[in-house]
Amino acid sequence: MNIFQKGFNYSQDGPGNRLVYHLKGCNMHCPWCSNPEGMSTSVGTYTVMTPSELVSEAISSKPMFFDGGGVTFTGGEATQQSVELAEVLRGLSENGINTAMETNGTYRQLGDLFCWIDHLMIDFKHPLSERHKRFTGLPNDVVKDNIRLAIAKEKDLLVRIPFIGGVNNDRESIDGFLDFFKSLDTDRFRVEILPYHEYGKDKWEKCGLPYAMQHAFVSEDERTKFEQQLMAIGVAVIRT
Amino acid sequence: MYTAQSVTALAKALFKEERAKQRLDGWFLTREIVCNKAEELKGLSKELRAAKELEAIVKELPLSISDYALFAGSQSDAFARSYALINPAFQVETFSGYCDPTAVYGDIEPNEEFTKERIERVREFSKNTAYVKRLSAMYDRFDPYTEEVAFFIEQVTGHIIPDFRPVLKHGVKAILDELVQRMENESDPYKRDNYQAMTIALGCVLTLGKRYADLAAKKAAAAEGERRSEFKYLEKTLRKIPYNGCETLFEAIQCYMLLWELMCLEQAPNPFAFSVGNADRVFEPYRAMENLSREDAAALLKHFLVFFNVGDRSWAISQNLIVSGRDEKGNDLTNPTSYALLDAYFDMNLPQPILSVKLHQNTPVKVYEELGRFFFSPGVLTPSLFNDDSVFELLRARNVAEDDLKDYSVAGCQEPLIMGKDNGNTTNSWLNMPKILELCLNGGKSMITGKVIEETAPVDSVTLLKNIRETFYTTCEHYVDLMCEAANGASKAISELPVPFLSCFMGGVSSGYDMRDTEHQGTPYNGSGCLIHGLSVMADSFVAIDKLLAERPEDADKLIEALKCDFVGYEDLHAFLKAAPKFGNNIAVVDEEAAEIANRISDMVAAHKNYLGNPFRADWASPTTHLTYGYWVAATPDGRHAREQLNYGVDPLYGEASGGMGFRILSNMKLPFAKMGGGYASHLGIDPKYFTADTFEGKGTDFANRVIKPLFFNAEMKDRVSPFYLYVNVTTPDTLRKVLADPKKYAPNGVYIMRIHGTFVNFLDLSPAIQQDIIKRLDPHSTEM
Repeated sequence: MNIFQKGFNYSQDGPGNRLVYHLKGCNMHCPWCSNPEGMSTSVGTYTVMTPSELVSEAISSKPMFFDGGGVTFTGGEATQQSVELAEVLRGLSENGINTAMETNGTYRQLGDLFCWIDHLMIDFKHPLSERHKRFTGLPNDVVKDNIRLAIAKEKDLLVRIPFIGGVNNDRESIDGFLDFFKSLDTDRFRVEILPYHEYGKDKWEKCGLPYAMQHAFVSEDERTKFEQQLMAIGVAVIRT
Repeated sequence: MYTAQSVTALAKALFKEERAKQRLDGWFLTREIVCNKAEELKGLSKELRAAKELEAIVKELPLSISDYALFAGSQSDAFARSYALINPAFQVETFSGYCDPTAVYGDIEPNEEFTKERIERVREFSKNTAYVKRLSAMYDRFDPYTEEVAFFIEQVTGHIIPDFRPVLKHGVKAILDELVQRMENESDPYKRDNYQAMTIALGCVLTLGKRYADLAAKKAAAAEGERRSEFKYLEKTLRKIPYNGCETLFEAIQCYMLLWELMCLEQAPNPFAFSVGNADRVFEPYRAMENLSREDAAALLKHFLVFFNVGDRSWAISQNLIVSGRDEKGNDLTNPTSYALLDAYFDMNLPQPILSVKLHQNTPVKVYEELGRFFFSPGVLTPSLFNDDSVFELLRARNVAEDDLKDYSVAGCQEPLIMGKDNGNTTNSWLNMPKILELCLNGGKSMITGKVIEETAPVDSVTLLKNIRETFYTTCEHYVDLMCEAANGASKAISELPVPFLSCFMGGVSSGYDMRDTEHQGTPYNGSGCLIHGLSVMADSFVAIDKLLAERPEDADKLIEALKCDFVGYEDLHAFLKAAPKFGNNIAVVDEEAAEIANRISDMVAAHKNYLGNPFRADWASPTTHLTYGYWVAATPDGRHAREQLNYGVDPLYGEASGGMGFRILSNMKLPFAKMGGGYASHLGIDPKYFTADTFEGKGTDFANRVIKPLFFNAEMKDRVSPFYLYVNVTTPDTLRKVLADPKKYAPNGVYIMRIHGTFVNFLDLSPAIQQDIIKRLDPHSTEM
């Protein structure tokens, strides 16, 4: 498996203290990405681990999985390494290690991995498929399908919305999000709004890539208002 | 008579006055008094002579009471302006330890009163004492080994936790009565002599109390209003204690200060690292007797804290107070005085004395909440933290009685000793493993100076590297033999200076022997310390050698040449060695190597006996000696450059643990803490941004849940002894650089407290080399969360 970053963090990508692996490679090209070095193996450095090496490392890390912690996979897009990912998720589950995965939700067979995932985080970037494709390179139909499937399978699901000025903070986009969520069983998932930041800006420059985002910050008021609208339709909103 | 506010205002004024002191001459006067008495005391046993010397000092030493003082007493007459870390003249390149006991005479600036001739006369006298002669002979004999620090030894002064509780409770009279009885029943003339010495020495504290009482009376006569009443109250107190027992917190603090002052005078100059022990338990009975509020108790204790600050840079370094903790059954012993002490510390934020906190599985959440303000206020002192659950196991392995476990405390930095019962000679010997590795790799010849330390038979490079572990361990055994012989020699030298006063509070009244006696054990527990340096450098080096032999065997014979020239011209080999696995990243091969080294060297050290036949105690700490010893070590196979610092304590070498806090803790947890009977050192520099709670209390509990509990009380460690020591600096390198660049903005009162090994210090008082070491070792990548 190609891993461009790993380390522990607390309650940011799943519950408790977690060992987070960032897997290299992504099928989207979001211009606001905070980990551009994870987009492709042709950019930046990475280390290679076999699934069994990763499972061994996770087992040796058990003392640090306190407060319900465990292992989280993110990216890049973790499902770009789906074969190895499936093997390692199974290995972790067999060893009683709590698992979480953050995904952009575009992997058609995502449901095949559900049985080994304790906490699922799906990024939902835009409710309107055409605009989703314009900003990320892919339409959102599979993303929506996977959200529906995770709910149907009663997975612990957190939907994350990167909230970005000029991308998805207009009236039409917000209504689109609300309409989609209203069509779901709102008791079976939570939503987290992640306001735009520029933590990745320097990384883009280090990778020799142009950083195209401008005027994308959203205000705290906008965020709060969006959260209130979500709560008004019965969606549980969290902040981590 | 007093309010908490007025008492606090006096304490702050008193500290300000103390910090304005530019000269410390009292210690010289004590030595001069001893010099002047020498002829008269000739022919007495050394114990009786020591007691008589103390008697003369207490009679003749000029005393004073400050206008701002609530209590009488001072440590200013026991310390010189010597301590290297806070001496602006300190340089890593020229520091050679404290091995010359007459060097202190160079720390006093001659003036009209203290002329050069006067100073030289006492220095000459000192040079000709039996103590200095024996010690100098020992240093001369082992100089080839200590010059480039394959090992180092020193005579241990201070570094003890006296038990003054019996005097606080019953008064000096009770001990004097016991001594009379023991003398009557004792037939051994040696012991009788010792009892007599202890009786004289103990009488000195009564003399000191009386002189201060007379001074207080004079101050009262000259004062007006409230201040007059206050000095009268002080006089009254000093007429009562220490002869009688204490009945109020005020009396207990005053009594304690007199005893402490005398203990320090007995060992002047520079008896560093005496410790109070659990100050909360010492004083709580007297607070409770008058049901004093937390606020009022804290106000009085502020004066107690000021007492530990000496002169312009708080020269009496490494005196430690500890609070909280548990008993042998697991009951928490935190009490109202614990919290009052925390309040006093926080409000005063003084460079001394050091604060430590004992924690355990059942430490109340309130303790963690109250600690939050210390960790998360920039420039405020932070306590070092001890895990009682583990330390108790360690002490049990050292055959400490169950009843004594709760009375462990730390002498100076992190060395666990039993209050009133344990003479651990904690800093007696110092082992530099990477220097020994260098000698192994170079036929016994220093790669730094080319000097032959001990020549060994030539072996080809590949064979040498293949057998490097066993060569190292065998060579190390030889050096440890020599080191322990030298260390015991230093202990025998210091036994020429008995301490009958301190012995009264260290089991001497029961045993009949001085605590420094090298023929008879005066204290219930005894041992000698060995501070072991360079754990992760060694582990990283062994693993790098393995990698070289496995992957680039053709380059194996280049390694030693590369080390000799600090990798100049061998940059490719250097990069290869740097890329080898490093301790601190949860990589099994190197973590297990570190554990193996820690096991074998701890056992090796513990198998050596001190002057009384008790084991040396393995202490994996490097109190700034990671800098000074590293300076004498050539490049090492892990890729560390020549003269660079070694790793600190059991921590990874700075810059080598890049995977963040989680991996670093996991590596740390694999070490055999049960073998570290003398203690160990570990530091985390943590960026405050990881703790986002709104209140100090919330940040304190977050800190406990995310750092302390995983490290100290981890359920996965149930079959092994968990880590038991930690100190932290919650700040960033950028913040400290800003403080240095603009101290007036960031530390308007001139004090910005930082932790450095077992002590905390005013960051602005430190020498530049030490300031940079603190910044470097924050090593933020190693603690990312």
